[in-house]
Amino acid sequence: MIGADQPSAADAPSEVADNVDEAALAQVMRVVPLGAAVLAGTTVALLVIGYLAIYLLIFLPRGAVG
Amino acid sequence: MTDPGAATHERRILGTELLWAFGVGVLVAAVLGLIVFTALTMNINPPSNVEHIDPKTLHLSGEFAEQNLGTTVGADGGVTVRVIATQFMFVPRCVAVPQGRLVTLRFASPDVVHGLLITGTNVNTMVVPGFVSQVYTTFTRTGDLLMPCHEYCGLGHSDMWANVQVLPDNDFKPDRDGRVSCAQR
Repeated sequence: MIGADQPSAADAPSEVADNVDEAALAQVMRVVPLGAAVLAGTTVALLVIGYLAIYLLIFLPRGAVG
Repeated sequence: MTDPGAATHERRILGTELLWAFGVGVLVAAVLGLIVFTALTMNINPPSNVEHIDPKTLHLSGEFAEQNLGTTVGADGGVTVRVIATQFMFVPRCVAVPQGRLVTLRFASPDVVHGLLITGTNVNTMVVPGFVSQVYTTFTRTGDLLMPCHEYCGLGHSDMWANVQVLPDNDFKPDRDGRVSCAQR
């Protein structure tokens, strides 16, 4: 139990939950999955393009090996 | 009570994650398929020869004795190159190979672990004492290629390299013993 002389966590602004506007949250959450997919997709696409460029343009023309 | 808005968000995130997992699965399958396809159709594989040899005696007799090192053309026309990788040199320091023909490269080490690559080709292997490293390839361009040791083998490691001289097929002429040496320039 908190004594009268002890501060409450609610006195510290950083400990208090923000007031969330549910409508604004819903608006953001609608685009979050799409944004994540675009970011991750772009990153992986660049990686795959780099891999394929080296594989097809450098590795394969160097010929058979085994 | 569950917030219906939150449940919708969860469903949407789950749907995105499943779609992402499916896409990544397709990508991994496509890359593996490409590797298997080129392995089967273009003969591109990781070197996988497993063959034992005694590192203490390999230079005394057998295929890695001094007189057998270098490039040899067999009776069937097959080209085989035998090289010893030792601290801190390749023996011989230059090997001649033909352009456009399948060449079998065989390496052995009497001392420590070495490694090598041939610039501009896919040849790249370790040379481990006790084993024969075998790689086959076809050289597509003529010219001198560098073959450095790429596995740190001691203080002289950086001086350990050899030349691979790729000759046009009509300049690649074996002598009576089926041996071919580097052209003197």
